Amino acid sequence: MGLSEERLRRDERSRAGGGSREAEQGVDLDALTAELRERVKRKREAGVYGPEVAKALEAPLPGGAPLPTDDGGDPLVALAAAVESEVAYDPRSRKPFIGPALTFARRALIGILRWYLHEIVHRQDRINEAALRALRVLSERESADIVGRVEALEEAKRREAIHQGAVHMDYELFAERFGGLESQVREQAERFVRRFAGCKRVLDIGSGRGTFLTLCKERGIGAYGVDLEERLVRRASDAGLEAYRLDAEEHLRSLPDGALDGIFAVHFAEHVLPGHLFEILRECKRTLRSGAYCIMATPNPSTLTVGADSFWLDPTHRKPLPPEALRFYLQISGFEPVEIETYNPSETRLSEDGLSGAALANVRLLNQTLFGDRDYAVIGRKP
Amino acid sequence: MRSWGYESEAFAVEAKREVADQVLPYRRLFRTVTPDDHLLMHFGLGDETYDRLAALPSRQALVYHNITPPEFFDGLNPHAAHHARKGRAQLRALATRVPLGIGVSEFNRRALEAAGFARTAVVPILVDWKRYDVAPDPEVLARWRGPQTNLLFVGRIAPNKRQDQLVRLLAYYRRCIDPAARLHLVGSYRDQPQYHARLHALARELGLGDAVHFAGGVSASALAAYYATASVFVSLSEHEGFAMPLLEAFRYRVPVVARDAGAVAETAGGAAIVLREGDLAVYAEAAGVIVERASLRERLIGLGERRLQAFSHEAVAAGLRSALGI
Repeated sequence: MGLSEERLRRDERSRAGGGSREAEQGVDLDALTAELRERVKRKREAGVYGPEVAKALEAPLPGGAPLPTDDGGDPLVALAAAVESEVAYDPRSRKPFIGPALTFARRALIGILRWYLHEIVHRQDRINEAALRALRVLSERESADIVGRVEALEEAKRREAIHQGAVHMDYELFAERFGGLESQVREQAERFVRRFAGCKRVLDIGSGRGTFLTLCKERGIGAYGVDLEERLVRRASDAGLEAYRLDAEEHLRSLPDGALDGIFAVHFAEHVLPGHLFEILRECKRTLRSGAYCIMATPNPSTLTVGADSFWLDPTHRKPLPPEALRFYLQISGFEPVEIETYNPSETRLSEDGLSGAALANVRLLNQTLFGDRDYAVIGRKP
Repeated sequence: MRSWGYESEAFAVEAKREVADQVLPYRRLFRTVTPDDHLLMHFGLGDETYDRLAALPSRQALVYHNITPPEFFDGLNPHAAHHARKGRAQLRALATRVPLGIGVSEFNRRALEAAGFARTAVVPILVDWKRYDVAPDPEVLARWRGPQTNLLFVGRIAPNKRQDQLVRLLAYYRRCIDPAARLHLVGSYRDQPQYHARLHALARELGLGDAVHFAGGVSASALAAYYATASVFVSLSEHEGFAMPLLEAFRYRVPVVARDAGAVAETAGGAAIVLREGDLAVYAEAAGVIVERASLRERLIGLGERRLQAFSHEAVAAGLRSALGI
């Protein structure tokens, strides 16, 4: 198709009334820029935009030094040119009559000042040359060094992240070996689901296999989940549940105020750093409607067999959170009241049979401290 | 201001002949100003008169039209570089004495803030739109009207306006888009003789001797004619405190392609193709697409006409009243 034909059709379109209607909208600059770049690329490939044209586009401005603002102009080169340039001063005057006298006076003045200025100029020259040399050395050696150091730091940071999160470990295998049984997970979800009765939009942070979402669906509660594990999200979606592969914080930030009427996050808080948790809680508070619940469940480190042992099984756990600490986090994020509910008692216990008095009290205390409830939840309500 | 019932006069150190009868000599201010008067000082270059005006007993505001950064003149025009440095230093000194700084663009307002003004506001330039209601000069029309593409730039010949880049762009345009295209550079070259001479040399070297036309400073009717014959207005300027010619182009229904620099994007307000590209070829292709595609051209013209409403007398007057608190 010839260019003129193409143009003709476009003209027809614009005559057909497109022009004035289109004027109502702005121009999509991104799309246009992409098109323009594509045109340039095509012309380059076709050889129309050949080396001569490229040379013309870069042609230096004749008749003197390049403009200081020229694209790609190297400031060091410009500085070198300035340092090396001669100062030309012509003392001759061309004024009629008084010209020769002026010339004489200027020459005399230069002659007298020369002895004084010579030293200053000489010293300034030395400074300029030293400064230029110093800049050259700095720009070459130091910058190369800095780049190397930054790269080393980045590499160290990357390795640290890998090691901290045990990225090489097969997490699915881990979950199979140490993760809770589906029945336990379901029991846990059942414990809290009643708080969301009648809700239309509950967010499950770290929705995993979708146990809580299934339960909600069964009870007619509108709920959806976000999780970073793609396989789990796919599994939940395949099961007809609403789940997305999204970062919880980013997702919360994208929601308007009061968009949710419940937030449920099981075994999530121990995976994020405390400062990050604050930010997430602040977003939780903002996105919940008034009267809605935010429930966060996490391993209970007050039970020492959890705090000293099972909590650390998972290498992606960051910090154990004692119940009172998490309650405090919710309170300062603006939730009131905040209840604590512990559950999932230890199977092992010291026997209290046949004990009485001080012995019974001591064993009870030991049982509570060593073999207490293994999980707890904080239940905060947005006022 | 007179229409709001204020007594208002314009004062100047020097005035162009066309407006001389409407302007009073600035010396009269020293005799007549009272503490109740508002004194609006328009500042675009350093001059010691401002120091004396700032000492006058009156309510004062400085309207900043920007000063080109001196680096643009280094090595080309030491005189201009010196004055630009002086002007910038004076702006910083005035910041401590004049309570209100008014930028004609957000870009200028930020410069005022950086200079140290305690209170700043944006009020666009009050444009005398009637000035543009003139019939285009028939001679200019006859000379340039034709089937070829006319690329136009209006602005003083000055290194910060980067007319040298426009010349290079024309080289691409003639090789890759339209071999008959021309470039019209309207604007006075009196202040930058060296840059002007070097532009000529560049055009010659690139074989564009006849295709680049330096029109110099022109009358209002000639200006109207250049806009009337222009296919596209192209600006590659790297420093603009306001970019008035963009509004002129909108007024004369000429689509605009411009490099994003200084106040260009905010003045264009989405009504021009404002790019931030390194490759001049992209700017040339943008002009080419506008020439080729009538729908885009019409859309840009429509947007431009609507953009002008932001610079109507009413809009600017409301901005000025709120800035001055009157």
